[in-house]
Amino acid sequence: MEIIAKPKGGNVDKMAEKVFLECLNILGGLKKLVEFRNLTWLPSLAEASYVIVLRNEVFKTYAEIAKELGITEQTAKNIVNADETKVKRYIEGELEKPNEHVAGGIAKLAYNNLKKEERLDEDEVIIKSEEIEVLDIDWAVHVLAKIKGLDFPVNKEKLEERLKGMIIKGKNVENILNELEYPIKTPAELLHKIREKL
Amino acid sequence: MTGYYELKELETKAPKLFGIPTGTKLDEMFYRIEKEEDKYVKKPLGGIPHLSIINLTGIPDSGKSVLAEQFAINQVNSGYKVLFVTVENPAHFLYTALKQKSEALNANFERVENNIVVIDASENDELRENPKALMDTMAYAIKERKTTNTIIDSITGLYEHKEVMARQIVRQFFNFLKKFRQTGIFVSQKRSAQASETAEAAGGLAVAHIVDGTIVLDKKLIESRWDVSLYGLPIGSILRTIRIDGCRFCGHDSQTWVFEITEYGTINIIAPLSEYIKAKRG
Repeated sequence: MEIIAKPKGGNVDKMAEKVFLECLNILGGLKKLVEFRNLTWLPSLAEASYVIVLRNEVFKTYAEIAKELGITEQTAKNIVNADETKVKRYIEGELEKPNEHVAGGIAKLAYNNLKKEERLDEDEVIIKSEEIEVLDIDWAVHVLAKIKGLDFPVNKEKLEERLKGMIIKGKNVENILNELEYPIKTPAELLHKIREKL
Repeated sequence: MTGYYELKELETKAPKLFGIPTGTKLDEMFYRIEKEEDKYVKKPLGGIPHLSIINLTGIPDSGKSVLAEQFAINQVNSGYKVLFVTVENPAHFLYTALKQKSEALNANFERVENNIVVIDASENDELRENPKALMDTMAYAIKERKTTNTIIDSITGLYEHKEVMARQIVRQFFNFLKKFRQTGIFVSQKRSAQASETAEAAGGLAVAHIVDGTIVLDKKLIESRWDVSLYGLPIGSILRTIRIDGCRFCGHDSQTWVFEITEYGTINIIAPLSEYIKAKRG
């Protein structure tokens, strides 16, 4: 009997980091914050990012969030209940400073973006683009991105559905797929087999 | 994605109505209505409805976990894979319980061992306290091991010290199992302050209102001359009952049934309470 005793995801720190980085993105990037001398926003954004993740993903109570982050329950409530549409209009210059927790509103916007685009759960492999080019594996990254969530073992039809239109090192992916043997058991096996045909 | 559908568009997405056997008489207690010539007839589903999430609730020692484990063994013995999330009972104790029940039910324990995946949240705070971590772990198990049934014993254990979040937590797990097309069992503990035999007593109002159906288990200690006279049982004995409280997927028997937990730790549903009493009193 297989027993799984440790979590395989749901890392609060990683999720909060993603929300925080998305906050910076919404604000036009770190450089813009430096230019406008708004770096003092960073601690509030970091705090708000944690609050939003703990509340929406981990279902912590306000009391638990307050205790975990060393803030008051009222601050946690203000962040969670911030009106993100008003805050959005404020940062776009359409409104005077609203009576809302601004960092909370930005964190909520960031969180909503990540959820909508399903990026909060994404496992990110960080390889710099120069390294990818040097390694000549950019095609592999694109293949992996396109087959994300596909159940293995997989047959040719499923792969064609996902990869159609791709050109790998000048070859149509359809032609490459025609030459492979099926079923293919793992993503690694797929990459290996494609490489053999290049 | 559009936010609305023409009813016809849902035809292909709608799940087929058939039963997932529990290996107990419950399998005959869910039914669908079919037209035969001019008449409508009840046809037993043969189990709990496919892709439904059923809440098993009751006071302590009423047989909730026993029924959940029996369901798991019956499913794996039929070749289906089960994900068992144990929140109360550490995995090694669950192993022993499953082994004993497998023997009692004449199931192939090797098959049981190979087809049940256990997530042990009882001894890991992160899994118990962080629903996101638990759901990601469940997603891994469901995708990697291709399970079709999921049991959470108990869902109440995931919010026991923060009932204010119960609804949100139950809703998340309910949606999660729907997304991953699992037939699910949520075991939930009934609050002692509320009347027994009621579904809403479990986990406040959270579980019963969200899930697709509820099965209530109860037990009555025969402790007065009146009980002895009514039930025809000796004083000090226990009368166990089970009732389907509701199901939004299909019709079901609504009587209270008497059941026993056999000496081998399996559920045996005997007769409707009214018939049982009649037979006992001669």
